[in-house]
Amino acid sequence: MIRYDGGSRGREVEEHVYDREELTREAQSRTATRRGPMDLPFFFLTMIILTVGVIMVLSASFARAYYQSDDPTRYFTRQLLFAVSGTALMLLASRFPVYIYRRFSMPLLAASIFLLILVPIIGAEDNGATRWINLGFTTFQPSEITKLAVILAFASMICVYKDKMKTFKYGVLPFAIILVVVVGLLILEPHLSASVIIIAIGAIMMFAGGTRWQYFAIGGGVVAVLGVLLVTQMGYASSRISTWLDPFSDPQGDGFQIIQSLYAVGSGGLLGLGLGQGRQKYLYLPEEHNDFIFAVVCEELGLIGALLILLLFALLIVRGYWLALHARDRFGALVITGITSLLAIQVFLNVAVVTNLVPCTGISLPFFSYGGTALWIQLVEMGIVLSISRDIPLKRRKKDEGK
Amino acid sequence: MANFGGKSYGQRPNKTILSRTLILMIVCGVVAFSVLGGRLCKLMIADHDYYEQRAVEQQTRATTVKANRGTIYDTDGNVLAMSATAYTVFISPYEILKYSSDPDSKYGDDPELIAQGLSDILGVEYDSIMEMMEDTESWYKTVATKIDTDIADQVREFKSEHNIVGIHIETDSKRYYPYGDLASHVIGFVGTDNYGLEGLEAQYNEYLEGTDGSVVRLTTNEGVEMLFENYENYNPATDGSNLKTTIDVTIQSIAEKYLQEAVAQNDILNGGCCIIMDVNTGEILAMANANGYDLNSPWTLSEEAQAEIDAIEDEEERSEALYTAQLAQWRNMAISDTYEPGSVFKIITMAMGLDSGTVSEDSSFYCSGSMDVLGRGGIPLNCWRHAGHGSQNLREAAMHSCNVAFVNIGLQVGADTFYDYVEAFGLWDKTGVDLAGETSTRGLWWTDEVFKNPQNLSQLAAASFGQTFNVTPIQMITAVAAAVNGGYLMEPYLVSEITDASGEVVYSKEPTVVRQVISEETSALVADILGSVVNDEGGTGSNAAVAGYSIGGKTGTTTKTTLEAQGITEYMVSFCGVAPTEDPEIAVLLVLDNPSGEAETYVSGGAMAAPYVGKIMSEVLPYVGVDPVYDEDEQALLDVSVPRVVNSDIASARSELEALGLNVRVEGDGDTVTSQLPGAGVEVAPGSTVIIYAGEEASEESVSVPNLYGMTMSQAQQALESRGLFMRTSGAQATSSSIVVSQQSVAYGEEVPYGTVIEVTMIDSSNLGNY
Repeated sequence: MIRYDGGSRGREVEEHVYDREELTREAQSRTATRRGPMDLPFFFLTMIILTVGVIMVLSASFARAYYQSDDPTRYFTRQLLFAVSGTALMLLASRFPVYIYRRFSMPLLAASIFLLILVPIIGAEDNGATRWINLGFTTFQPSEITKLAVILAFASMICVYKDKMKTFKYGVLPFAIILVVVVGLLILEPHLSASVIIIAIGAIMMFAGGTRWQYFAIGGGVVAVLGVLLVTQMGYASSRISTWLDPFSDPQGDGFQIIQSLYAVGSGGLLGLGLGQGRQKYLYLPEEHNDFIFAVVCEELGLIGALLILLLFALLIVRGYWLALHARDRFGALVITGITSLLAIQVFLNVAVVTNLVPCTGISLPFFSYGGTALWIQLVEMGIVLSISRDIPLKRRKKDEGK
Repeated sequence: MANFGGKSYGQRPNKTILSRTLILMIVCGVVAFSVLGGRLCKLMIADHDYYEQRAVEQQTRATTVKANRGTIYDTDGNVLAMSATAYTVFISPYEILKYSSDPDSKYGDDPELIAQGLSDILGVEYDSIMEMMEDTESWYKTVATKIDTDIADQVREFKSEHNIVGIHIETDSKRYYPYGDLASHVIGFVGTDNYGLEGLEAQYNEYLEGTDGSVVRLTTNEGVEMLFENYENYNPATDGSNLKTTIDVTIQSIAEKYLQEAVAQNDILNGGCCIIMDVNTGEILAMANANGYDLNSPWTLSEEAQAEIDAIEDEEERSEALYTAQLAQWRNMAISDTYEPGSVFKIITMAMGLDSGTVSEDSSFYCSGSMDVLGRGGIPLNCWRHAGHGSQNLREAAMHSCNVAFVNIGLQVGADTFYDYVEAFGLWDKTGVDLAGETSTRGLWWTDEVFKNPQNLSQLAAASFGQTFNVTPIQMITAVAAAVNGGYLMEPYLVSEITDASGEVVYSKEPTVVRQVISEETSALVADILGSVVNDEGGTGSNAAVAGYSIGGKTGTTTKTTLEAQGITEYMVSFCGVAPTEDPEIAVLLVLDNPSGEAETYVSGGAMAAPYVGKIMSEVLPYVGVDPVYDEDEQALLDVSVPRVVNSDIASARSELEALGLNVRVEGDGDTVTSQLPGAGVEVAPGSTVIIYAGEEASEESVSVPNLYGMTMSQAQQALESRGLFMRTSGAQATSSSIVVSQQSVAYGEEVPYGTVIEVTMIDSSNLGNY
């Protein structure tokens, strides 16, 4: 029987029998002051990317903001506020001991599912899809929290199942049930991109956790069949495929967005038009400060700039995995792997959409795309990684770096 | 029982987790980014040009910068045609819909507001603007074109006051013709696209129009200029070049004034034309048509013509009639229409006779009133004067305009030589005048076969006095100019110089001699004989005489041969004058088409056209700097300017006036002059009786103008003075009894104030006839 009740966890921890070493470690991790410093490369990479991202929001959004409201910095100021407060949240998250996250992993998943159920009832509709919950001062997508919840929950589960991960009953079934529930709710919205990401991140967690290869083959097959069904059943998805294959077949309609994106990317050239000098943001490129902000990056900063930004992301991601490999415990390692993979998937899919490598779907670029709560959640995720990084002994890190 | 909260807390990751994380690190951290990097390289380097070009295409909008059309000047630099900035106002229904339907819009677009505002400012109907807005796909619906700056400013003000996006203003240019209808057929006009349609505007369109430029600007997807962008590809417009014409507005005005007068006074039905040419250069100083039209609204017909068209019931017929009437209005008779020159052509016959050596000044011609010509089937060829002219030398024959004599000259010259000269005088080919629409007349002459048939000389005979063939007025005056200017056929022209927008001369016309047709000696003699036609006793051109000037010329009167065959008699009367005869400078040709015969004037070139050529000469010659030289007789007939004698004593006033050849009548018995009639500075005929009042005031009653037609100069003067009116004269200046009044400036029976000066035109009645 799986207990999802987090309320009694504190006591259960007390009841748990630890070996000496573990006890010491937990004691260390509970006393924040006695934990190690957070991983500075990861922190600084995050801050650099965040800074560049906020600047790009200003550059990408001022034209539309000007024509809409006469306040060209409208989006930028808001994003800046969220970035600053988000950084505070990240630092706060990095102070929490890791076990807190583990304790709250299942309740968070339950809460996420509850919110996903709420979405169709109280959510706000936009473009035929209901994905948002209005908090008054801002709106947020429960799917964003669900991603984190799935990572934390799966990490917890893997830690519990340990060697049973190789079995179908433990290694596949519980995870698959959760995924079916979550993805089912997302498809009701409908929210294809979040579904894809959650399936991917779930699969990656299971993969990292030790689920056997052959189940992935079977699962992959199932997902493929379901995918084909989805594409043929959901009208809006199949038209995306044809638009993807030949965007110029309907340049003023379905193909408009991707064509505008390609124009922006392609006209960037080697060096770009210069920061702020982009032209496609002048109401040509839709979602220019949002899902397609990377097109503006390419147009303005050129191939060099775009590759540098991708390099920053790659460094952050590689550093993330490095931290996962050096994490002191299994849960931390799995959480970092999950969060880092999530970041990698989002970056990859976003850039792939912008460059028409995959069919168009709404995936934001972490730290760049305009959107307050999503940014907060991303920064909290980074905070969790930093929190876990504090438990890695400095000596070991230094030794490894010295190699 | 699993406890996900922490049961296995602290376990080190196992080998599977580590190795799989490593795999993920490679896939997500390296492979994925390599794929993206490769994709970016392809799009941004390999496909860069393609996408950049497409992007720039959609991001830029080219705006045309209209070139200003060049100015047309007269020879003194007066502006005949100029361009001024005008504006086109258009609306964008698409934008209006977009911003008016958006409740959050910060713009004030509202269809009713816009329609009302534009309707108020531009005078366009409210409903028609509302109708334009229904086409909501459109970005461009023209509301008004060619509006002036002040109106455009009002539209701009309205637009900014209400913060409207959907109203736009484009710069255009508008053609202005400061002189209205002056020289309308020469200058021509442009269409709405500023493309020259008629006259010099059409002929020199490529010089005048210039080259439009363009400004390429970066604009947003909504067509507004991008912020902070200074990318601008500016390709400046090259303004059109400016024409300097040979037309002189003063001379043109004179020509038009007297052409109108000739048409009105002689009741000419089909209008007429007048050309004034510098005979030595071929420069056209004036070219006038009787039916001038306002170049600022060239499509507007005269009221009568419009009324006639409005009367047509059928719509299709009406629009066709309108079109025909407009074409007729624009037709430049001076170069496009042909006519039988009649006796004016005798100048050419005489010139070829003299130049070919066939006849000389001393040749003798006998006219019995008619003659037989081979090929006329025994029908005698009559001279216009059936009584005949008797024996005459060449000069007299010309003075008499004797048909018989000139037929003889033609027959002696022979058909071959005759045609050689006709061609040499440029009467077959276009003169090459730089104006669109010139007609060639080669096909309007007899074929060689017919004309040169030795068995039938009737064509040659008729051609000798200018009948049965057609020429254009411009050909005729150019040929006459060649006959008197030393023998050189000149290429007539209207544009002397073209300067481009920067002031550089791009075209300069030098007088062009097409060929020398006759010798200088012959030419001098021809000019001298033409002087006799006007000035000598018994000359048929005497009505063109101007005191102080040696005017030469030849009359022409013909019935239209083609119409005559249909039993319709329509006349064409003309006069071609040259002056001064000793060294001709200008030629004036006045052609009047179809006098009704209802006017009191006798239907002939001598009576109808010659007096007006004389009047034109009398004003143009002093203007071009030819000073009058009066002989004694002329001196005696010159009008006298009445001096101011008010306030002087009666005796000295009387002697002052009498010294000027004026008579004096005193009213009242005071010692000093209190008033005088006519007033100081008024010109009156010599011998007029000036009334001076001594103590009395001038009469203020009005008097009825008498009918002076047919009176001699002294009779007319008497008739006028008996009623307290005064006389001035123009036209033939002589006291002989054959010189009679043909026209008076105030019509018979009209009431005019006591003391008014009536101007009369004198005419030589001794030789009225078809010459």
